[in-house]
Amino acid sequence: MQRNTKLTWSLLLIVSLLTVAPVIMLILGSFSSSLHSFGNFTFKKYISVYSDPMLLGILGNTAVFVLGSAALATVLAIYLAYMNNRTDIPFKVLFRVLSVVPMMIPHVLFAVSWALLLNPSNGILNMWLQKLFFLSKAPFNIYTIPGMVLVEGLLDLPVAYLIISPAMASFDASLEESSRVFKSGPVKTLFRITLPILKPAILAAFILCVVRGLASFAVPSVLGMPGRVYVLSTFIYRAVTMSLIADYGKAAAIGMSILAISIGLIYVYRYYTRYSDKFVTVSSRGFKPTVVELRGAKAPLFAILIIISSLLIVLPVLTLLYTSLVPYIMAPGREAFSSMSLRHWHTVIKDPVSLRSLKNSLFLGLAGATVGSFLSILISYVIVKVKSRASGFLESISFLSFSFPGIVIGIGFMWYFVRTPIYASIWALFLAYVATYLPYGIRPMTSAFIQIHSSLEESSLVSGASFATTMRRIVVPLLVPGIVSSWVLLASMFFRELSVSVVLSRPGTEVLAVQILRFSEDGQWGRLSALGLIMIAVATIMVVGVNALGARFKPGESREKKKPKNWQAA
Amino acid sequence: MKFKKLLILVACFFVLTGSLFAMGEKEGSTAADAPVSKKVSLYANITAIEPIIKYYNDKSGMEVEYTRLATTRFVSTILTEMEAKKLTADLVQGPLPILEILRDQGVLSNYKAKAAEGYPDWAKKDGIYQFGIEYVGLIYNTKLVKAEEAPKKYEDLADPKWKGQIVMADPATHATTISWLVGLKEHVFKTEAEWRAFLKGLAANEPMFVASFGPTPAPLASGEKKIGISMPKYIVTHAPAPLDYAKISPMLGSPRAIALTKAAPNPRGGEAFLEFWLGTEAAGQLARDVGEYVLAPGVYPPIPGIDKTKVIPIRELSDEEIQKWGAEFGKIFSLK
Repeated sequence: MQRNTKLTWSLLLIVSLLTVAPVIMLILGSFSSSLHSFGNFTFKKYISVYSDPMLLGILGNTAVFVLGSAALATVLAIYLAYMNNRTDIPFKVLFRVLSVVPMMIPHVLFAVSWALLLNPSNGILNMWLQKLFFLSKAPFNIYTIPGMVLVEGLLDLPVAYLIISPAMASFDASLEESSRVFKSGPVKTLFRITLPILKPAILAAFILCVVRGLASFAVPSVLGMPGRVYVLSTFIYRAVTMSLIADYGKAAAIGMSILAISIGLIYVYRYYTRYSDKFVTVSSRGFKPTVVELRGAKAPLFAILIIISSLLIVLPVLTLLYTSLVPYIMAPGREAFSSMSLRHWHTVIKDPVSLRSLKNSLFLGLAGATVGSFLSILISYVIVKVKSRASGFLESISFLSFSFPGIVIGIGFMWYFVRTPIYASIWALFLAYVATYLPYGIRPMTSAFIQIHSSLEESSLVSGASFATTMRRIVVPLLVPGIVSSWVLLASMFFRELSVSVVLSRPGTEVLAVQILRFSEDGQWGRLSALGLIMIAVATIMVVGVNALGARFKPGESREKKKPKNWQAA
Repeated sequence: MKFKKLLILVACFFVLTGSLFAMGEKEGSTAADAPVSKKVSLYANITAIEPIIKYYNDKSGMEVEYTRLATTRFVSTILTEMEAKKLTADLVQGPLPILEILRDQGVLSNYKAKAAEGYPDWAKKDGIYQFGIEYVGLIYNTKLVKAEEAPKKYEDLADPKWKGQIVMADPATHATTISWLVGLKEHVFKTEAEWRAFLKGLAANEPMFVASFGPTPAPLASGEKKIGISMPKYIVTHAPAPLDYAKISPMLGSPRAIALTKAAPNPRGGEAFLEFWLGTEAAGQLARDVGEYVLAPGVYPPIPGIDKTKVIPIRELSDEEIQKWGAEFGKIFSLK
């Protein structure tokens, strides 16, 4: 008990230093009349942004955009996770990788590739559909709220998938078997047993997607602005840019609402998962996820998977590949194919800044994700197993930095780190990444922890094992799917992080996303696509490697290898 | 008991944060006294200048480090760093109004550059040197618009034939576009009524908005849009994309400027680079490779006819004016 208390307070201190300090800076900035220093307190910035007549409409747009994209991402993730973990659908390995790869695609690039495919003037897919069905005008317009929901939903899908999938993998099939014994069909079992028990993971995924949607800027900027659809993040951008001297205090003032919503959502999540024993599926009596035979439904469900994968990865990546080969963005045709070359690839490969960016991003991805995952294990343990006010507070503050829109939190870190020796160094990026994206590590871990009954560790402790030994030999091995998910989420976020990096990165500490932004500001879409594809390839290798490593350490793998029909979870 | 722990925790937090702050201050105080080195730090908002910096580094043996700062973050970043005594920039380059704000905050030095002797008097003041104009024009896709169909005057852009065919930066938020539209009122249109009629016509054509000038050439090159309010320099940087500009005189733009900082860690290195930057060699590279309109006499970008086009700097709008006109344009263009 005393050990748990010490751990809780130590973590509170570490997480406070990481997340509370930049937020305090932002709060001070939002109440300061000056644009770059603190003092002369005023409410003017709050009055100015919250009395804007556009705000009401923007809130409406934001609600539809955020809830729509989070719902889409969560539903698709449940489908993918169920198919990949619990059914006999073919090519599972491929679909598992495809479910995660969009994490590596820079959001700007993903949004631009969808604009190229579905813009109403000459979108490649639109033109093709127009010809095919003899339509008088383009059937789709990506510059609308539904278009934004689709693209943001697809971008958030891997996040939701990585949270839901480990929970689905660790599911005790005996519960479903009991349902079947009582003559319930697979669909009824899915909705009455499987999904309710997975509620913590599903809620966690949905909430994370909502928070992510609130902070999203790439999709609202690339697809919303041309269609004149403004949401909170573009409203912040307008508030910041409508002046020669950006007023980040105003942005922070709007950010406070987003922070309040995020914290509210965390409490909603805690409320609905307060009886965590209900969701335990891994206890001392063992667990055995089984495979559902799809039989006649296999072909249509497989077709749906192919469609989702195409939307997620094949179409955008093909568009990137095409853009990286043509001299400028041009409609596909004879001229385009005859002018293809590797010019952009050569430029990128020979560019020292691009290579340095790749090196820095790799370091931040690998080292940052490892440190972040380790911290997440400890924090999640405290959140789930040490249920106290302090652990609730710890959970809330771990979300602090993440809850702010990217444009704003980067400034908070700049105001914080500029007063420390690590300013303008790679360590500033390292700490800011870990602090901002901690929820990506914590969410899958808490979902996984919730499923493990405390009797397992209690038995170990009663048998004389130390806390460290219990964690190492009992808890951590059972958490492998969650740890892999955490690591993959963190690594892929760090590998393509932009919003914090764009503020903190300096010569020598450039990272991939900042270099991609440079290419985008210069309108160099060819180079941008080439570098983007290199980034996707490296990140995919990284993720596949870690998944393979995770599979080797999966609990009971060696024991169950002889019974592959019963044990095919991720 | 819990309260005591909370107190200890809060105390630890403040001690740690405070010590970090103190270390930061100490660190910062040494930055200005750093020994002269080969490193020169340039904070700039101009894009695509890496080849010029590489050329200078190879030629001089110096190491110029280019930190790109978007216009929106320029002042806040520099002033924040200066307050914490962490400003490492020897030189700053940005739009003229931005540098004037920095001058008023005491960031800039009053260095007299020899290379700017041939520059007009209005282009050099208080150590700030205007070296180019961020010129804005009407750019079109040559495969979709013939030269004779291109606008001959700005009013032509309000012609309904361009409905749904225009791309431009958001006129409610993009400071350069706001200044350019106001510049049209002051330099091109005879009366405010004519100017407002042009704005209404342009708004009726429902232009597609993007965040800044950077994303404007892509939809033009791909044919998604036929014409745009953009920068002629993209004809150079996006070659061989089928782009040309409407030959309308005068063309307007915000002045680009550069200055040495007062607390430059490497003032001699900064001065040397400033002299190079303002000289005809760098100006020639800026015009030739980046398509910039430079003020060095007789140097033009390789865009046919640009040497005969009158390019004039527009008045720098104050912050209040930019906000006022941004809100006004937001209404005219019916932003939801």
